[in-house]
Amino acid sequence: MIKPIATNTIEPPRREELILGILGTLAFLLVWEIASRFDLINPVVVSNPSRIAAAFVAQLQSGEIFNDLGVSLIEFAAGFGLSLVVGIGLGIAMGLNRLTEYAIDPFVWFLYSSPLIAFYPLIVVWLGFGFATVVAITFLLSFVSVVVNTVAGVQGVDPQLVRAVRAFGGTRLDVIRKAILPAALPLIIAGMRIGLGRALHGVVLGEMFSSNAGLGYRITFHAAHLRTADVFVPLTILVVIGLLINALGNALEARLQAWRV
Amino acid sequence: MSVAAQARSGGELPLASPARQRSARAVVGSIAVALFLVAWQIVGGNEIIRSDLISYPSEVASTLVQMTASGEIGSNLQVSLQEFIQGFVPAIVIGIGAGIAFALIPRLHYLFEPLIVALNTSPIIAFVPIVVVWFGVGTQSKAIMVFLAAVIPILINTMTGIGQVHESWIRACRAFGANRRQVIAKAILPGALPPVMVGIRLAVGRAIVGLIAAEMYVSVRGIGRLIQVYSTSERAAEIFVLVAVVATFGFVLVTVLRRLEGAIAPWSLEP
Amino acid sequence: MGALTLDHLSLAYARRDGALLALADVDLRVKDGEFVTIVGPSGCGKSTLLMLIAALLKPSSGSVRLDGAPVTAPGPDRALVFQDFALLPWRTVLANVALGLELKGVPAQKRTEIARRHIAMVGLGAFERSYPHQLSGGMRQRVGIARALAVEPQVLLMDEPFGALDAQIRQVMGSELLRIWERGRKTILFVTHDIDEAIYLADRTIVMSASPGRIIADIAITLPRPRPLDIRNDPAFAAYRQRIWDLLEREVLASNSWGQPAAIGAASGAVA
Repeated sequence: MIKPIATNTIEPPRREELILGILGTLAFLLVWEIASRFDLINPVVVSNPSRIAAAFVAQLQSGEIFNDLGVSLIEFAAGFGLSLVVGIGLGIAMGLNRLTEYAIDPFVWFLYSSPLIAFYPLIVVWLGFGFATVVAITFLLSFVSVVVNTVAGVQGVDPQLVRAVRAFGGTRLDVIRKAILPAALPLIIAGMRIGLGRALHGVVLGEMFSSNAGLGYRITFHAAHLRTADVFVPLTILVVIGLLINALGNALEARLQAWRV
Repeated sequence: MSVAAQARSGGELPLASPARQRSARAVVGSIAVALFLVAWQIVGGNEIIRSDLISYPSEVASTLVQMTASGEIGSNLQVSLQEFIQGFVPAIVIGIGAGIAFALIPRLHYLFEPLIVALNTSPIIAFVPIVVVWFGVGTQSKAIMVFLAAVIPILINTMTGIGQVHESWIRACRAFGANRRQVIAKAILPGALPPVMVGIRLAVGRAIVGLIAAEMYVSVRGIGRLIQVYSTSERAAEIFVLVAVVATFGFVLVTVLRRLEGAIAPWSLEP
Repeated sequence: MGALTLDHLSLAYARRDGALLALADVDLRVKDGEFVTIVGPSGCGKSTLLMLIAALLKPSSGSVRLDGAPVTAPGPDRALVFQDFALLPWRTVLANVALGLELKGVPAQKRTEIARRHIAMVGLGAFERSYPHQLSGGMRQRVGIARALAVEPQVLLMDEPFGALDAQIRQVMGSELLRIWERGRKTILFVTHDIDEAIYLADRTIVMSASPGRIIADIAITLPRPRPLDIRNDPAFAAYRQRIWDLLEREVLASNSWGQPAAIGAASGAVA
């Protein structure tokens, strides 16, 4: 049985929330800095905010990090783009035709519930080291949530809507374009939101284990040289990308809400 | 199933009872899986594609038997299980505890909110290298990764669960004279239990990913370590076996938790 | 004992555009053992009135007294029965009925015994181990009534208790309630929007107006007890029905029209 997946939306912060949030974060950084200054924690191994800031400046100046960011973004776009095309296509096929759904469901279920991360060595064996592997892992991790939610969205479409388009002489394609896709859109977008997060996971995973460029690779590279402060630069950028993706998802859903009312 | 089916055309099954639909689903699904396995066996078993790259079902099965008999799976699974428990149990305790505190004291929650949101939205495996640098290549760093991956969904679900407790349950307690402490103990905490359980269930998948990623990154023993070892020697059969072991572990744990949810809170399964 | 005195009770909600007066100057005296029903259009504040008596809400002015003593906090001397039942779904029927006793600090064995007695009284003896989601709506409300009676309140406050039930179940529950009431003769304040129900149950029916809620009539119902279900066909019953309907007609029309909620503070220019 395929069920849609829901996300928790995080509401925009109010003023008190914002102020306390900033204070809390600053206090966290301050405690960290002080602890390392007084050698309560090892400043070289654990690093501290001022060292990380310095590493940030150095890496931004060298420009290497922009190259990594570019590689990661391209891999992300390729992998997620592929999972949108395949995921929505397959989802519509499964949603419209029950035999297709029954036949493909076990495989989707397997991909959804098995630890895809463990497959990466095989994908490396199949596709080699680098771009293709990273894109494949990104795709595999993210397309399942798109498929699952598209199926649920299509199956939930009000049959009246379909009949209306048919009654006015619409073709099968018209039915899909004018009735099914728009009506299924909210659930598809909810699936995309989850897919976006999983795609970012896929990029990092692929780059960490089988690449020689990208933010994920840069993290492992610096970590292998025990340059802790440098690790935090690509890591922080990834955290920010995660936050931006979440914000994008929130905005998309808010837009959809406004549009439906 | 949806009435929408009637309005569609092509490859349509006649509307049947839910029971017949379930059996149709099972039959068609089993046939599809069987066909896939047969095709895999033919392609891999006859070396149409190199079998060290894709293996084939009978080889995977015999490898499973052999790896189990040699104790290779058992001893490594034991290490992974220990790491999992060392991280997951504290994640449950701290996730629920902090979730309750944050839900009851919003200001405390606001202080930590950016940290929680950042951890929730960022790809958790990116933290593997730094955790290994900080906590070493041994079991401790794996337990920390399990903890980090699991604590956030538990915490967030505890908070939202408490936020979604029915007003009527609180009202009932207050009407019979409950004080704040009693309202928390008798309405809010038991009422939030089902979403907390769902959070724990969600955390299982994430924790397994964190654990395997950390073991694959660097470790001495464990299932993830085995996967890494066999991947360098291009042994597809062993990798499939190990994937199956990890998937089975996750599946069993999630199924047990689901049963537990049903036993603890049968009412939550009602719409 | 269970004599209730409401003096000049008013409640205003603060709102952005001024204050909404929910209840205006309600005066009511209920004698011990009296069954009083309150009927009025939706939004007349009849449920709010019960919440004030239960002290789940605080009045803006005026007072509630029970047997002469001012009411300031919720307590087991006034037990509520809710329209949405408000049962705790993780508790069995027995544990739900025992809730009030538990909060009062009655020892476990004693409260089980008291709860059992009240479960039997509402006819659910066979279901004490069941959970609310396994029961029908009518059975759930029996649990709600048993829970309220178990704390042995002076006053039973019933907030449209049968409002969520089917018409037939509703009538059966009404006569059941009367049967239980005749045995103990506790004071009951029963809010409903069903005129027949209000007449059938009551010694006295209070009719309220909407926006702001105030008492517009206080009618003694002198039909003989015990009352069979078909007393609804009695000419005397029909006369009461007609009288209350006439009183309410204007109110219902008013609250169904474009009537804005009355706002106080208009005089001070607070309303735009």
